[in-house]
Amino acid sequence: MRVSTSMIYAVGISGIQERQQDLFRLQQQLSTGQRVLVPADDPVAAAAALDLKQSLAIHDQYRANGDMATAQLFAEEGALGNLTTLLQDVKTIAVYAGNAALSASDRATLAVELRSHYQDLLAIANQNNGNGRYLFSGYQGATRPFAETAPGSVAYFGDQGQQLVQIGASRTVAVSDSGAAVFLAIRDGNGTFAASPAGSNSGGGIVGPGSVTEMALWSSALNPRDFTIRFHVAGSGAAAQTTYDIVDNVNNVSLLSGAAPGGGPYLRPYSAGSTIALKSQVPPDTNPVTFDFGVTVTVDGAPADNDAFSVRASVNRDLFSTLHGLIASLESGKAGGAASAAAYQNTLNASMAGLDNALDKVLTVRAEVGTRLRAVSAEQNTSEGISLDHGRRLSELLDLDYAKAISDLSQRQIELQAAQKSFISVTSLNLFNLL
Amino acid sequence: MSNGILGIGISGLAAAQAGLVTTGHNIANASTAGYHRQSIHQGTAPPLLTGSGYIGQGTRVNTVLRAYSGFIEGQVGEAQAQASYFAAYYAQLAEIDNVVADSQVGLSSALQEFFASTQGVATDPSSMPARQLMLAAGETLASRFNLLGARFDEARAGVDTKVRNVIGEINSYAQQIAALNTSIVAAQQNPAQPPNDLLDRRDLMINQLNRLVGATAVAQSDGSIDVFIGNGQSLVIGRQVMTLTVAPSQADPSRLEVGYVSSGQTVPLQQASLRSGSLGALLAFRNGDLNAAQNALGRVAIGVGLGINNQHQLGQDLTGALGAAFFSFPAPAVIGNTGNTGSANLSAALADANALTVSEYRVDYDGSQYRVTRLSDDAVTVYATLPQTVDGITLALASGSPAAGDSFLIAPTRNIARGMTMALQDGASIAAAMPIRTAAAGGNTGSGRISAGTVDAPLPNVNLQQQVTITFTGANTFDISGTGTGNPSGLIYTAGASISYNGWTTQLQGNPAAGDVFTVSANSGGVADGRNARAMAGLQTSNILGNGTMDYQGAYSLMVATVGNRTQQFEIMARAQETVLDQALQAQQSMSGVNLDEEAASLLRYQQAYQASGKLIQISSALFQTLLELGR
Repeated sequence: MRVSTSMIYAVGISGIQERQQDLFRLQQQLSTGQRVLVPADDPVAAAAALDLKQSLAIHDQYRANGDMATAQLFAEEGALGNLTTLLQDVKTIAVYAGNAALSASDRATLAVELRSHYQDLLAIANQNNGNGRYLFSGYQGATRPFAETAPGSVAYFGDQGQQLVQIGASRTVAVSDSGAAVFLAIRDGNGTFAASPAGSNSGGGIVGPGSVTEMALWSSALNPRDFTIRFHVAGSGAAAQTTYDIVDNVNNVSLLSGAAPGGGPYLRPYSAGSTIALKSQVPPDTNPVTFDFGVTVTVDGAPADNDAFSVRASVNRDLFSTLHGLIASLESGKAGGAASAAAYQNTLNASMAGLDNALDKVLTVRAEVGTRLRAVSAEQNTSEGISLDHGRRLSELLDLDYAKAISDLSQRQIELQAAQKSFISVTSLNLFNLL
Repeated sequence: MSNGILGIGISGLAAAQAGLVTTGHNIANASTAGYHRQSIHQGTAPPLLTGSGYIGQGTRVNTVLRAYSGFIEGQVGEAQAQASYFAAYYAQLAEIDNVVADSQVGLSSALQEFFASTQGVATDPSSMPARQLMLAAGETLASRFNLLGARFDEARAGVDTKVRNVIGEINSYAQQIAALNTSIVAAQQNPAQPPNDLLDRRDLMINQLNRLVGATAVAQSDGSIDVFIGNGQSLVIGRQVMTLTVAPSQADPSRLEVGYVSSGQTVPLQQASLRSGSLGALLAFRNGDLNAAQNALGRVAIGVGLGINNQHQLGQDLTGALGAAFFSFPAPAVIGNTGNTGSANLSAALADANALTVSEYRVDYDGSQYRVTRLSDDAVTVYATLPQTVDGITLALASGSPAAGDSFLIAPTRNIARGMTMALQDGASIAAAMPIRTAAAGGNTGSGRISAGTVDAPLPNVNLQQQVTITFTGANTFDISGTGTGNPSGLIYTAGASISYNGWTTQLQGNPAAGDVFTVSANSGGVADGRNARAMAGLQTSNILGNGTMDYQGAYSLMVATVGNRTQQFEIMARAQETVLDQALQAQQSMSGVNLDEEAASLLRYQQAYQASGKLIQISSALFQTLLELGR
């Protein structure tokens, strides 16, 4: 082929240009450490890298959220820890208050101690997280949740909202519990039902917390869940005979006899400390309808004629009124006599049951808080792992393989030198030099 | 006889001189653009018939030829047009590729910061610093959209300027070619010899024209050439020149269109007919990749803007008021054709970001029906009346009435990125909370639980925050009371089933007992509630664009990948075409280029021919001297 002089120059120069472009690019890659400088270098990797970067940012955020959640949960856990200690102290006092040898002034001293605990309880319930946000007010972080509106009556100004924090792609964790859940939603009695004396009782009957023998029977839709155990005493002195009737308050009928309540018959015989089952016992029951509500209560002591005890489904009783009821009964004390002693003991029993339920509640919430803390930490570990993996993949996608780049660089250098030298030697050959 | 020798010697001298001059011309023009090496075409002079036969009468130079192949030149022209098309296209793409690559101005980091700040508010809703951070991040995001939108607008303005310049150059080349046609025709007439240097200049002009716009040159018998561009539109016919012009498009006055002036009328040149040269590249880039990228960015902007706004307006701010718009952005652009004769004004509103495409639409009215054409794939839908919703855009007749033949261009996402701003100015106005909360009454004996409740899109019901009470009348039946509910009674309870009134939805679980009460009420004072902020943060990873196929980042990544792919593709094509051009140029240079060594050899050759012819004259002189001496 014929070669023109300008072609010799053009080809030589374009060869050098190309090598220089390669070198420039390699130099850019080496100086930035990046393989992909603009998306066109590797569009697939560039787009994948954008998605990975978002994922990394999101996981960073989830872990930050997790730290935040941990801090809030620790604050709540601290408050609940104090509450546990307080409840245990109060229980100890309540148990001690049951000691028959205590004098009225001893009980008054205990009451003073309990009053201080009552104030502590209010302080814990109104605790804030250090930033002015109340721990137990639900969504209304700026609202002081509990205030005493009358002695022993504490109103809740928060709500039942629970704050959730996103700690993973599909994982949120609650970082608060409302005051209603911790301090208000505490069942009375044994948690399923409550047995309590009627206010008009004049005898020495003391009712125990009772027990559930078969939950399914108690939960049955057929169960009215509201009963009265009414006692009848015939005769007096050593000849006195105590019997009782069980009345279904909803249908207003005696379960034992089917008769209208109030006038007997009182079919079952009573002995102190005996277990009263809400279940047909034929005889002495005469009612042809058999029933079994799966619970028993124990009544001890000597109930007077017409004394009654109610058995009904547990309802919520707030911790403040439970504690206040205990204080009030310690302060009013026993006026002497079987009825007063029984009333005192019944109140103590109810208070103890309430305190037990409250402690159970607090421990349940604490266990939940612990579970959440573990979940946060587990989620953070998972997220850490994902981030590491994504970071590695991002690096694979975008980062430069230095060994390869450096070897390429030296190869291109040699090529450029060859192009330059050959250009010089080819262009220096010229016939005119010889003319 | 001696006269003959002298004559031959002189003819040889003249021919050698012409050869030397031509060689010198070649050497002098070795680097002249478009120069084809020339050579003399030498032939014998007519011989003298004598009794002893024809006796040669020396030499003469018939003509001066240039080394030229029309075929090779055509190949170079074609390759040139293609190479400059791809090179110009690549240069434009590389510009926007750089924009989307730069992590400082790219969108990803701003998106991530915004959603991270939203999570911050969700986690600690009552914190003013967290709220201020979210406002600032929203501001950054909006301005990042503005910045990117402006970069695309700059790219568009740059293209427009280049198109104007190119059109100017094309017109100038056309003028020069016509002028050269005139000179060449005149020069060729008498004597009939090729005006090589003029031809070179004209070929160079055509080659330059090929760089700008693919041109076809057709030689005419009188030596002139006609030049055609595009689909055979004539640019130069002999001495006549047609002018190209740049004018605002009828369909979209904000965009420039190339027109063709023919007998006083401007006819728009279809962009599709210009498929080569840098003009073709500029127009194709502007109407294709640039529009697509700008619209794709607009779609991300509108997705974020509309998504956040819709969720934000379901929430409740720190003062207890319902959420206002978080971002504001312009309405979709509706551009009436400047040739419309009717009085109609169309309006377009965003209905659903999820259904949005990155295409633009044309609405044609034919007197009875509206034909809506999606320009990306020319899919047509026909409607008898408006309003109608097409791909997430609601089109309506705002005023007036259209005339048959009227058309409108709808650009849903074109201006969104550039015009997006923050509507919210105050951290306390961030609606991080939900406007409702639920509660179970303290005296409930059953185990029923009520969920926290959600607020339903679209915008809140007027009775949203009215207190509503759900009262169980049995284990499986309940009544509802409260303003706006219609107080239905005897509803059947199914655990986990949704209960929706007044624009909220909640679920009940567990076993409620008769007499149990649940309430849904206004979330007054709910400053520690971050539910709505969490819902907003959740939008980051929800597939709410492209008919549920991608999230915001996905839509942006898709745009980056598309731009990257196209850039890579055009880089490869540009290189390949460059190689094709190099090969064509090498073939052309091989044929027509000047080789100085060759010219040096020619110099020696003609110098020696000159010396030899001189020797002939000397001999002729000596012969004459011999004759003179005979007579002495």
